[in-house]
Amino acid sequence: MSKKKLGTVWLGGCSGCHMSLLDIDERILEVAKLADIVKSPVVDGKEMPEVDIALVEGAITSDEHYRELLHIRKQAKTLIAFGDCAVMTNVTGMRNYFNLKDVLDTAYVNAISNDKEGKVPDHPSLLKLNEKVLPLQEVVKVDFVIPGCPPDADTIFYVLFEFLNDRLPDLGKAKKLKYG
Amino acid sequence: MNTIPITINDKKLDVDPAKTILEVCRENDIEILTMCHLKGIIDIGACRLCLVEIEGINKLLSACTTKVAANMVVKTSTERIKKYQRITAELFFAERNHVCSVCVANGKCELQQLGYKVEMDHIRYPHLFPHCEVDTSHPWYVMDHNRCIMCTRCVRVCNEVEGAHNWDVMNRGHQVRIISDFNTPWGESITCTSCGKCLHACPTGAIWPKAIVQGQLEKKPEIISELMEKRKMKL
Repeated sequence: MSKKKLGTVWLGGCSGCHMSLLDIDERILEVAKLADIVKSPVVDGKEMPEVDIALVEGAITSDEHYRELLHIRKQAKTLIAFGDCAVMTNVTGMRNYFNLKDVLDTAYVNAISNDKEGKVPDHPSLLKLNEKVLPLQEVVKVDFVIPGCPPDADTIFYVLFEFLNDRLPDLGKAKKLKYG
Repeated sequence: MNTIPITINDKKLDVDPAKTILEVCRENDIEILTMCHLKGIIDIGACRLCLVEIEGINKLLSACTTKVAANMVVKTSTERIKKYQRITAELFFAERNHVCSVCVANGKCELQQLGYKVEMDHIRYPHLFPHCEVDTSHPWYVMDHNRCIMCTRCVRVCNEVEGAHNWDVMNRGHQVRIISDFNTPWGESITCTSCGKCLHACPTGAIWPKAIVQGQLEKKPEIISELMEKRKMKL
């Protein structure tokens, strides 16, 4: 069996899911026997190359995330929504109850720590926040989801190990479902 | 006692005709999912999770509000029922703002447990993200409408058990809300006795005491059922 390619990416989330990925500890060696990690916040690499499995952490909050997710969808055979933010927007989506201008003003203009000249940054090189935060499945087709904030390391390893051995994991049957 | 024969999931039972299908199932260890049911208060069939198939009836009926009848043939866990239970669970999550990771009830929430039971891994419907109020005006308790699923257990427990009728329901459809008195802040209520029964009746993190933080909520809905059992004994 040829070695598979694994990519992980961090969009609108807190990186907690990647911390939990690192918590699989020495079992990363078993993953490394079956797959090369070709793109991840913990390794070098800019654009997502062609991969067998892409773990995508975080919700879609901006134009940049949107473009990146469409790119990942083209590159990945199996796209996995990784963590509550990717699956159901979670904390990232809590700004959806307000309008975007109020959210930005709260952070950059009206915050108590601001001086009087506080203004919302609008440099053209900055990403533009979307009006609403979306879970991955509302932008692209998602092949598998791992809910949890963060998902347990055991759950992450279980899912990776099953996919790397060409089996389809079942979180419900394996009693590994968790939200929050 | 007169009993009548009924069949549930191919199991023949002789049961008390005054009982509901749900009561009979609970007594015979047949699992039925519920959210709005709380033993001791009146069932209203609001959550639609306890739907069962009854032979000879086309539509699904709620087990909590349907009395048993002689020779009734009931099925409680067909593929059709499981499909609807999963849809119902997902709609609960999609309707308001359930963010488990920051919720006081995280890990002890009946809605989370429901999700696990129906094996819900994601929500197939777009979230509504409604703007919901958080009422912190009561000196001890908080009412967070973001986490309310409109089971109305608080309304019924306040009315039927405490006799205060502080809680009620306003509006219809997705604008439906639990209200205190005539939609005034809970802290200004002239009917609330601050007994805390609504807090124990609530299945999610919608009503909770101010003294706790994320994941620390301890609810004991069974104390309400026990209280009602004790009252029956005195009569």
